[in-house]
Amino acid sequence: MVALQAAFGLVFDPFVLMVILLSAVFGLFVGAIPGLTATMATALLVPVTFFMPPVPALGAIVTATSMAIFAGDIPGAMLRMPGTPASAAYVDESYAMAKKGQLELNLGVNLVFSVLGGLIGVLFLIVAAPLLAEAAINFSSFEYFWLACLGLSCATMISTGHRVMALLSMLLGLAIGTIGIDPVAGHPRFTFGNIDLMSGVSFIPTMIGAFAISELLRNGVAGEGGASLVQDKVGALFKGIGGVGRRYWRGFLRGSVVGTAIGALPGAGADIAAWVSYAMAKRFSREPEKFGTGHIEGVVESTSSNNAAIGGAWIPALVFGIPGDSITAIVIGVLYMKGMNPGPSVFLQNPQFIYAVFVIFVLANLLMLPLGWLAIKAAGKLLRAPRQLLMPIILLFCIVGSFAITNSPYGIIVMLVFGLFGWWMEENGIPVAPLVLGMVLGEMLEQNFMASMIKADGNFLTFFTRPIAGVLGVVTLGVWAWMAVRGVRDSMRRVAPA
Amino acid sequence: MRLHASLLGLLFMALAAAIYGYTHTFPAFPGQRYGPELFPRVISAGIFACGLVLLARGWRSGQAWLGLDPALREPRQLGSFLAMVGAIVFYLVAAERLGFLPTAAIIVAALSFWFGARAWVALLVGVLASAVIHWAFSSLMRVPLPRGWFMQIVAGG
Repeated sequence: MVALQAAFGLVFDPFVLMVILLSAVFGLFVGAIPGLTATMATALLVPVTFFMPPVPALGAIVTATSMAIFAGDIPGAMLRMPGTPASAAYVDESYAMAKKGQLELNLGVNLVFSVLGGLIGVLFLIVAAPLLAEAAINFSSFEYFWLACLGLSCATMISTGHRVMALLSMLLGLAIGTIGIDPVAGHPRFTFGNIDLMSGVSFIPTMIGAFAISELLRNGVAGEGGASLVQDKVGALFKGIGGVGRRYWRGFLRGSVVGTAIGALPGAGADIAAWVSYAMAKRFSREPEKFGTGHIEGVVESTSSNNAAIGGAWIPALVFGIPGDSITAIVIGVLYMKGMNPGPSVFLQNPQFIYAVFVIFVLANLLMLPLGWLAIKAAGKLLRAPRQLLMPIILLFCIVGSFAITNSPYGIIVMLVFGLFGWWMEENGIPVAPLVLGMVLGEMLEQNFMASMIKADGNFLTFFTRPIAGVLGVVTLGVWAWMAVRGVRDSMRRVAPA
Repeated sequence: MRLHASLLGLLFMALAAAIYGYTHTFPAFPGQRYGPELFPRVISAGIFACGLVLLARGWRSGQAWLGLDPALREPRQLGSFLAMVGAIVFYLVAAERLGFLPTAAIIVAALSFWFGARAWVALLVGVLASAVIHWAFSSLMRVPLPRGWFMQIVAGG
């Protein structure tokens, strides 16, 4: 209880509250502008949070991402353009509603159920994380090795597009992660005599490059103009929400639970959660024929789901140091920079930080109601923000942010290289998210792999002798076998008709 | 630049071979069976296998050897792409000498103008944005942004 009190003290501090408020506005803005994503918001925030104590730094990220995922719904309904990929699943549905004159109902539902879904995700985080941490305290290198393997395997399995491409991306991430001093013998690898590379490829500039610069290069300037708002003024938002809630509470609960679970799976985040929940809503609906014609049911379920996923993603990130999505991948980088290595020991040594994250999560979701309302009311102006001025400023911000992490042009070079590389990867159908996951998990995987190999003296069967490690190992091998079988079957099928 | 799957596969197989070859330069540690070379070798094997799959897959596809994103075929889009990359390179080259403020102002103003803002608006936003960002990072967060000639002239050193 002392820790909880300390957590409240940490959060309800004027500076922290101001940071939360500013991040909320920033998140709403970034989320509402099509082409700027929640991950990008996080990557842009990190250089600023770099100079803050841990609690406001985490508060900024939690708040901005929660707001951004909701705000992505606004242009979805008004312009038929998702503000972030997490709103893409129900953009057509929302737009169809707006065209029917139900814009207010749609945005009201998006706001209220984003808040409620977000809170359910946080509830699961608050309950599950400490329980898992208690179990994880006895984990040895074997368990962590399998957990990292399982995390990476899930990420490639769930990823969109070809699985080989996702696997390749993940392996490239692991390979990039080996650059620098190796964690076992202390030998510099792949540094080619470069001193900057000794400490590894700087992580935050990599993120800014892969998520912000590549995005700017891809669509920073595309899609300009031509878009017209359905209606300029938005009327009463909360009319009819109660009725929707009474009618579709099952879908809301299902969406929130599924969203949390998908968020917690490594590699899948809010966008995949929304797609899955939309599909589930349709399958379980009594009137599936109405889907796509401007029907609120699917919106309720998927808008709850994508906000629930945000909290869910923090569960493995805090407990095991395994990111649940690309946002928490960046968060883990931030935690390491702050000297708070994620893992069960944080729950013992610094429980007040964990509780502070919980408190901020609840606070951010509650704040979303008034601030989201304001954002919707101001949407007409927000969506007309001049892109031709915005994009250059974001670019400048990326440059300065990358520079600020390393205090040298090295950060900017890393950003540029990964911006171009990320763009090139997407061009060739190779997803970027697994690369980031590989980079984040690389060191953990190698450390635990090497420690286990040395302990086991090369006998791979020892990896299965501890009960939890054994189960995790068998599950991981099962996932690999399943992926291999699917891969072979897919390629056979592709040959057969020819 | 879109590459044919087989080319992509070959590229990654070459990369894997290079990683594998390079691990032979790592020193062995006496008394230890596994050294810093083990993990990169496992990864390179994985990349090689993925490359093989891509090579095989490309064999059967009727894909072009080289392609370009259709959006980039439009001169204006290609120009925007190059302008943004060019802006970053310009910063790397010029910031130390010119100083942060003029470099940043030039970048924002030139890009805004290219994207279609009116000249005076672009100039104004360039000056304002660089001043605000300079204030936030240099004064608030104490990031040593390059001073260059500009600050020498303005602040006298």
